[in-house]
Amino acid sequence: MTLKLTRSSIMGLILIPIFGVSIVLIFPMISEAQQEQKTFITHTGGVITTTGEIIDPVYVESEMDFDPMDYLRNFNYGKVSQLSDGTNLREFTIVAEDNKVMEVSPGVFYNVWTFNGTVPGPTIRATEGDLVRIHFINNGSKSHTMHFHGIHPAEMDGVFEIVGPGGGQFTYEFKAGPVGVHPYHCHVMPLEEHISHGLYGVFIVDPKEGREKADEMVMVLNGLDTDFDTENNFYAANTIPFYYQHHPIQINTNELIRIYVVNMVEFDPINNFHLHGNLYYYYPTGTDKIPSFYTDMLTLSQTERGIMEFEYSYPGKYLFHAHKVEFSEKGWVGIFLVKDSAKNNDKGGEFGT
Amino acid sequence: MIKEENLELKPTSSKIKIITSGLIPFIFLLIMIAYIFGPGSDLLEFGIPLPEITIEKIDFKNSEIQVIVRNTGPVPVEVVMADVNDRIQPAAIEPDRFLERYESALVRIPFEWNEGEPYKIGITTEEGVRFEKEIESAAPALIPDFEFTIFFAIIGTYVGVIPIMIGLLWMPFIRKISKNKYCFFMALTCGLLLFLGIDAIEESFEIASDHLSNSFNSPLLIITTTILSFLGLYYAAEKLTSKADALKISKPIAIGLMISIGIGLHNFGEGLAIGASIGLGSIAFSTFLIVGFTLHNTTEGLAIAAPLSRERKIVGKLVAFGLLAGVPAIFGSWVGGFAFSPIFAVIFLSIGAGAIFQVIVVILKWIHLDGKNNLTSGFVIAGFSTGMLIMYFTSIVI
Repeated sequence: MTLKLTRSSIMGLILIPIFGVSIVLIFPMISEAQQEQKTFITHTGGVITTTGEIIDPVYVESEMDFDPMDYLRNFNYGKVSQLSDGTNLREFTIVAEDNKVMEVSPGVFYNVWTFNGTVPGPTIRATEGDLVRIHFINNGSKSHTMHFHGIHPAEMDGVFEIVGPGGGQFTYEFKAGPVGVHPYHCHVMPLEEHISHGLYGVFIVDPKEGREKADEMVMVLNGLDTDFDTENNFYAANTIPFYYQHHPIQINTNELIRIYVVNMVEFDPINNFHLHGNLYYYYPTGTDKIPSFYTDMLTLSQTERGIMEFEYSYPGKYLFHAHKVEFSEKGWVGIFLVKDSAKNNDKGGEFGT
Repeated sequence: MIKEENLELKPTSSKIKIITSGLIPFIFLLIMIAYIFGPGSDLLEFGIPLPEITIEKIDFKNSEIQVIVRNTGPVPVEVVMADVNDRIQPAAIEPDRFLERYESALVRIPFEWNEGEPYKIGITTEEGVRFEKEIESAAPALIPDFEFTIFFAIIGTYVGVIPIMIGLLWMPFIRKISKNKYCFFMALTCGLLLFLGIDAIEESFEIASDHLSNSFNSPLLIITTTILSFLGLYYAAEKLTSKADALKISKPIAIGLMISIGIGLHNFGEGLAIGASIGLGSIAFSTFLIVGFTLHNTTEGLAIAAPLSRERKIVGKLVAFGLLAGVPAIFGSWVGGFAFSPIFAVIFLSIGAGAIFQVIVVILKWIHLDGKNNLTSGFVIAGFSTGMLIMYFTSIVI
């Protein structure tokens, strides 16, 4: 009737937690149930059959909040009006935020600090001599500013005129110049933190006479330090690692391609740009009309930038990537899909469907 | 009649009272936990729990690196990426990428690795945090085929069975010596065992710090397991020796049996360590190493032989005890080589340590009662010290 607490039952009671803990710890290792098989082929040809899931940011396509393909050819000319002296006034509204958590690589979420909601911020484009007026609103939780590279008065430099959080405002106004491609970025301390979180963008100043017609695009070479150890976990052209590898940039043969390249990588002293199957003319900072290099490999330091121009003669797939291979293996790699422009033009339907 | 009923009821009702009074604090405890963690409570919503995963094991297979990761943090995690030497690689994760607390998963990375080169394997979670483990030298994972099974059986025999058998050959010598000298050898056994016990604990701390996350609280896991093993075996040994007459075995044989079991558990742990080391490619197995283990473990045979020396017709038992103590080394090396699990290894080494400490206590008690010897006599002290010194010097040979 009554439970007798014998010595042996006490022994048993002592042993129960030992076995219990052991089973709990060891069980998950041996409890992997058989499931549906998936086959998984890698770039080097290796085939793996798995019952589990595939985690592959390198070869598996995925969609993110931010679309680098939209960003690539998206230029913002602002709201244009004419001043009494005939000068074009270009007005822009830029809103800074620092609370957005964005998926930057499949499954990886990172707190990006943004100008107008994206990293990089919008590409601001003006013609030399235009008056650029930027209504800057800081909706973030920290102080932010906009600091443009270029020529402008000291009080428009965005360094000492700190714009406070929660709706602080400032209007930057300056004459667009010099001709070329320039970065803009937040200049609040700690600077590295504000830049590496994503507060930067591209500012293009076109020459008055314009440039030769071309298929133009912007590439910001950047990195993401998702674990804040002052080393980048990901690299990319336009933020999303491997994006242009999954979504090749379509261009045509015998068509001039012009890339405005800006290196915004932090932590690593250099970055570079290598083009396959071709060479490009390079105009440092885009300030000169005569190219300095004809090359397929260019090294860029922080905020170093320029214009690259090239044409492909042969159709096909061509890689472009950092030849600092570490960066390309962490996402800074893409593909140009060059289509035969002769075939494209006759609209025979070969590529139409 | 009425009186009898009362007598029967009274103990029952008082028992209910006792049980109730025992349960009341638990009920209050549950109410408090419900209040703190229950729905609608925001008392503890401060601070950010840091996710953590631990890479427990890395195997280099044919054109593939296999990694076992475990969620050792306070919150569930999602594994999103794998890398080799900090370069992102496509991978598969089984059974799936969501890991609850303490859940583990197998990450399979197709990779043409090179033998003998160091590799760093990184696993990234959804917060973009990367966890890394380094392998000093890649070596092919052992496949439990016939060849390796035999290889490990031979190694286990060399380091476990043969040395103990050699040690048992001291039997005729111990038989012929005087009581005081006999006490010396019994104390020597204690010294040997004490060394082995400390060695096992040190080994488990080492494995824990190399392979186990802090969340297992391994120092206390080791201490708790050792003490529970000690208490459990002490109790079992008391039962065994007190029933020795009924079972028609003598007290010394019961003690010899307990020593064999203790050393067997220890040798299982030793086999585990050897198998795992070969499996992880962290040691090159040499004849020198085998010689070291052989010297070291010969003393274990002496430990079994000493208490049995006063018995007659024990050759059969002696061999059986020797096998009981030595053969687990073979099983250990199989488990360690083919299915190494750090948590299993730590628990097993700790159980072995507890077993050894229990044997020491039993022998000391026996010297005290049987030999009429004070434990502080010169023979005992000298034996104890010699035992530890022998172990120390044979251990540094390895």
